[in-house]
Amino acid sequence: MVQIDLEIKNDVLIFRICGDIDINTSPEIKKSFDKVIKENNKRILVNLGKVDYLDSSGLATFVEILKHLRTCEGQLKLTNLSRKIKGLFEITKLDKLFDISNEESTALESFNK
Amino acid sequence: MAKTAIANESHLLKEASRELRGVLKERGIVEDIIFDIYVGFEEALWNAMIHGNRENPSKKVTVETEITRNTVMICVEDEGEGFDPEMLPDPTLDENLLKEGGRGVYLMKHLMDDVRFENGGKRVVMMKYLKQTLKDGGHGAN
Repeated sequence: MVQIDLEIKNDVLIFRICGDIDINTSPEIKKSFDKVIKENNKRILVNLGKVDYLDSSGLATFVEILKHLRTCEGQLKLTNLSRKIKGLFEITKLDKLFDISNEESTALESFNK
Repeated sequence: MAKTAIANESHLLKEASRELRGVLKERGIVEDIIFDIYVGFEEALWNAMIHGNRENPSKKVTVETEITRNTVMICVEDEGEGFDPEMLPDPTLDENLLKEGGRGVYLMKHLMDDVRFENGGKRVVMMKYLKQTLKDGGHGAN
C-alpha cells in the first residue's frame, strides 16, 4: 500500500510518497503522475523520505515520468532519499539522469523560475 | 534448508518475501543487508513470475532458502523456457539509461555477493555473505 500527498509550493508540485514502491504500487504511482502532468503541472519534486523500499519497477516508473516530463519541457527532482534507496539509483547509474537533493527546501530553490 | 512451491500470484510472492524478511530480522541480520537480500529476492521472484512463467497462474515458482551463520542462500526456479543472462543488455550504458526495464537482474547481481543462473536460466542461485553483519546478540546459525 502506498500513500501520496500533494502540495504546491513556489509553483512546484511536491509529491510526498509514503510506502513501498514496487511492482504492486508502481502502476498507481505512475497513474497519479500522469494525472498531474496532464493537469499542466510540469515542475515536480518527489519527496521519498517515507519510502523504505523501491525495486526495479519503481526505478522504471521514475524513468517513465522523467521521459514524460522531458517531452513537455518539464522538470523532475527527487529529494530525501534514504541511503539505501539512493544507492539503488547509484548502482544503476540513474543518479546521472536524475536531479537528486538531500533536502526538500534546497531542491525547491533549485527549480528554474 | 527450506523449500516452498508458490503459485504464480503476486500477493503470494509478496508474502514469501515478507516472510523471508521476518526470518532475517529474527536472525539478527543488520537492516542494510536485509534490504539487499529483500530487493534481490523480490527481483528474482518477479522475474520468475513475469518473464519465466509469463504470469501463467497454473505455473509455480519454487523457492529454496538456507540461512547459516555466515551465508544466506536463495534459490528461485520457474517453470518457463529459460533465458541466456549473458544476452541481457547492460542497463547502465548511456544508450540504455532511459529504457524503462532491464534492471532487475542487474540489481540482483549487484546487491547479492554471488549470483549464478542454472538450468538454462530457469533457476537462479544467489548468495549473500554475512561476515560481521550480525547485530549484537544475533543468532545466525541454524
